[in-house]
This record gives sequence, structure tokens and C-alpha cells, in this order.
Amino acid sequence: MLWEPVLWGQLLIHGVMLAGLYGLLALGLNLVFGVMRVINFAHGELVMLGAFLTFWGYTALGLHPLVALPFSAAVLFGVGWALQRLLMERVLGGQPMAALLVTFGLSLIIINVGLLVFGADIRSIPVVSGSLRVAGFVVPKARGLAFLTAVALTVATVAFLRWTAFGRAIRATAQHPEVAITCGVDVRRTRLVTFGLGAALGAAAGSLIMLILPMDPQSGSLLILKAFAVIIVGGLGSVAGSLLGALVLGIAEVFGSFFIATVFGEVMAYVLLLLVLLVRPAGLLGIAER
Amino acid sequence: MPRALLVGLALAGAGAVPLVANNYVLSVLISLAMFTGLAYAWNIISGYTGYLSFGQVTFFGVGAYTAAVLIIKLHVAWPLAALAGGLLAALLSLPLGWIMLRLRGPYFAIGMLGLSRIAERIAFAWEPVTDGGRGLYLPPVLDLRAVYWAVVLVAAALVGITSLLDNSRFGLRLLAIREDEGGADNLGINTTLAKLQAFVLSAFFPGVLGGIYAWHVSYVDPVTAFATQIDLTAIVAVLLGGAGTVWGPLIGGVTLSVLAEVLWARFPFIHTALFGALVIVTVLFLPKGLADAFRQRGWLAPGRAFLRRLAARPAPLEAAPE
Repeated sequence: MLWEPVLWGQLLIHGVMLAGLYGLLALGLNLVFGVMRVINFAHGELVMLGAFLTFWGYTALGLHPLVALPFSAAVLFGVGWALQRLLMERVLGGQPMAALLVTFGLSLIIINVGLLVFGADIRSIPVVSGSLRVAGFVVPKARGLAFLTAVALTVATVAFLRWTAFGRAIRATAQHPEVAITCGVDVRRTRLVTFGLGAALGAAAGSLIMLILPMDPQSGSLLILKAFAVIIVGGLGSVAGSLLGALVLGIAEVFGSFFIATVFGEVMAYVLLLLVLLVRPAGLLGIAER
Repeated sequence: MPRALLVGLALAGAGAVPLVANNYVLSVLISLAMFTGLAYAWNIISGYTGYLSFGQVTFFGVGAYTAAVLIIKLHVAWPLAALAGGLLAALLSLPLGWIMLRLRGPYFAIGMLGLSRIAERIAFAWEPVTDGGRGLYLPPVLDLRAVYWAVVLVAAALVGITSLLDNSRFGLRLLAIREDEGGADNLGINTTLAKLQAFVLSAFFPGVLGGIYAWHVSYVDPVTAFATQIDLTAIVAVLLGGAGTVWGPLIGGVTLSVLAEVLWARFPFIHTALFGALVIVTVLFLPKGLADAFRQRGWLAPGRAFLRRLAARPAPLEAAPE
């Protein structure tokens, strides 16, 4: 492989920009896992719903994706809340596989409904075009915008978890639900909000992905594997870990696509996922399973 | 030997179907037996051993491609090619199982899903052998009878193996691993070996079925050979019938095929959603599957066969003195 500083720097920039999106993509999934020890297999489909709500806002109402983003996040918050209330509460605390299977069934239903409502066409929102030159490197505006928004949302979420009372309640529930109850945390409500928040973060990620990549109703299954890869590389339940995981995946994908083959850029997520699972089954910065 | 007689009659009955059935009925029955067989194979690693796999289709695809390549390039007879597909799948499952079975719970499930996606990508990229996305074309099959017999034979073999497994120490080891792997390890069970054996069984048969499938539909491409839908159907059949039981996959497979023919053929656009709804309803309301519901109604004998035999043993002559 050739050492060309400009080329490598350019690839690195692309990788980091992708990583910002992947970090947000994985954040909601990781949050739900941290609090409920449930892998939400339908997370990719919630991302897809968010993306298509934004697309609908753009085509039907002429809303800019960044304007539509809060609305689709709010709608998905409600969807997440309702799913937790109607479905997940019934399987939490039972067989660990029951929850995984329920979300698996849910993802199938959402994909099918998505195909019926939105059709199977591949959609994109090409509102932001052109690129900037920053210090000799090319930065496409759409990717830059998506990256900055994703980072801002991630930082806001981490700050929310860290410095607000409700954020503390979420972290307490994640660490030890029984003790959280004795400390006066309404664990049930915390879980409802967490699932809603996870879905809302997914929707935001979906809206941003729509800016830079075309999507169809079946794209969710590809995205969830990327989100899995991110949080498994970083460690399930660890926010810092998932940021590291996102960086690793984003950069590996860009370099893999460039130096090996585009096909292997796509596979890179799974290869990384398997490699890390082998060496460190709990992820690079993971917490042990309870 | 009424039991042997019953088995013989069932096999003879199933074997005689092509003599009276037309091609439509045969193709319905082929897909029924195919998915029942896949359900039985999945049941060994996921139902008995508790390692939920979302990627056994990897071995189905490997079998399909192996058989297709052998038939096209080396003109191997198709039953032998399908068998070779199973053998290669089993061979491949040794290192893969050794690696993947170190993962537990959701990690294993997702790891296997990732594996099947990698396999699909490799099939796309390895053009000299697989012809990439164009796929491989095989000579068309005009007589479905041989295909039917082959699939039914494999499915029957799987019923037999599962029945033996359910009554064996090996089966007990797998169940022990499912219930408490650490505990099983402490009891001196070589859990790594037992899991690997179960995994290889759960890879060999999908490989053979994949090979037969390739011959049956005369075409293999990456998307259909490694379709998540194939795993899905097997998983739903096992869950619906009852995971970790001898008759569950058969009950589930038959129920699913009947549903598919009667109901879903009329609503093709919500086929996937109905599948998803079935998974959720089963997990919520029938967590032990139809086999358990049948047992409670007395249609199936309760408990496991070896437990029934233990219970039926004559009591010791005298109670031990105090």
C-alpha cells in the first residue's frame, strides 16, 4: 500500500465523518441494552422509520431534513414508548432470548409495513450538495453537516445522562434496578423513557443518514449490523466504548473499501465484529453480562 | 414391535405419496419436508443446546453452492453432490463452531447473523467459482419424485436422530448446557466438545438440504442461497412447535406449511409481517410451543421419554430401614 499523506488524510477524514453517524446510530441501541439488558433487534427498523418520516416531511411538506429531524425523533419517541409499554414490559425479566425474539418479530413487521407504506424504492434527500476545501482536504457539505449534527446530538445525550436528575435515574437503573427502586427511582417510567429515547436517537440517526446515503425500507437490517458491530467492538453498555467502536468501524470501512474492494467495505463491519468477539467477547471497553 | 411397525408404515406411506400425487402437491410437500428438516437441524443447536443461531443458513448456502459447482463442473450425480455439500458444510462448521461457540447468548446469535452476511458477500465476490450475482444455472428437473424422496429421507433421518438424541446421554449433556453451562462444566461435561458436536450436526443437514434445493430449483445465487428468510422459517417452525422437543419441529413445520398454503398465499404482501406477528404471539402466549399445548391436552405423552422410563421402573422391593 502506498503512503500518500494527502490520500490517507482524506480517507481518515471520511472515516471519522462516517464514525460520527455510526456513533449516533449505535447510541440508542446501546442505551436500551445498558438499561434493560435487551438487544433491540428492531433498532435498525426504527432508524429506517425515522429516515422515511424525514423523507416524507421533505417531499410532502418541503421541510429541510434538519428541520424535520426533531419531529421524526419525537414521533419515534412515542413509538418507542408504546412498544415498551405494550410489548417489552411483558418479556423483560423472563427468558433472555424471549426479548430478543420479540424485537426480531417486531423488525419483520416494521419492514413489511414500511414496504407497504413507502414502497420498495430507494430514496434519498439530495438537498445539500457541493463540498468545502478545508486545509487542502475535500469535505462534502452533506457529510460534514450530518457529522456535526450527529456529534452534537451525541454530546447532548451524554451530557443529559451525566448531569441531569433523569439521566442519573437512567444510569442507576442500568447499574442496579433494585437499588434504584429503593433510592426512589421510578424504574418502570425510566425504562419507558429509555426505550423512547433509544428510538428517538435512532430516528435522528436515520434522518441524517438520509442526507448522505440512499435508503429503502429494508436498509434497517444492514444498519443494525453496523450498530451491532460498533457496540460490540466498543463493548455493550459502554458509551465511551461505542464511540471508540464507531471510530474503528468508520475508518476500517473507508480504508477497506478503498484499498481492498467496495464489497469488503460493506463486510468490514462483520469482519471487525467477529474479530473483536473472538479476542474480547465483552468488547474493548465492555461491561460483563449481568 | 408396534413402534418399529409404526415407523415403517409412516415411511412407506410418505414414500408412496409420489405414486398418487401430482407435481403441485409434490412441490408443496417438498418445501414442507425441506423446512421441517431445516427446523430439526436448527433445533439441535438452538432448541436443545440453547445457542440461538440467526445464521445456520450459512451452511445451507455452502451446501447449495458446493452441489451446484460439482454438478456443473464435474458432472457429479446430484444426490452425491448434495451429500458432498453437507460434508463440506460440516467440515467448515468445525473451525467456525470452535470460534463462534465461545460466544454466548445474544453475542452468538448476532455473530452467526454476521457470518451468514459475510458468506453472502463472499458468494458475490468469488466470481470464478460462483459467477457472482448472476448465479449458477443447473439443468432443469423434470421429475420431482426423486427430489421428494431425497428431502423426505433427510427429514426422516433428522426425526430419527433427534429421537435418539432426546433419549441419549449426549442429549442430556446438551440440555444441561442449555440450562446452565457453567454448572454443566462443573459436572465434568466437556461442554466445548458437546457444543461442537451439536453445531456440526446442525450444519451437516442444512448443507445436504441446500444441495438438494439447488438441484430442485435449478438455480443458485447469493441472495437466495443465503436468504435470512430460510433461517427465519426454520426458527419460526421450531418456536411454534416447541424448541428442544422431538415432535416440535414437525408440528411447527406442518402448521407453518398449512398456514402458508391456506392463509398467506392469499395475503402475499403481508407475508413477512405475519411471520413477525407469529413470532411475537408465540413468544408471549405459547413460550413452550404447540408440543407443550398438545401434551397438556394429553395428545402427546408428557415429559421426556427417558424420564418416563425412569418413572416406570419397578420400585425397590423394600423401603430402606430407618
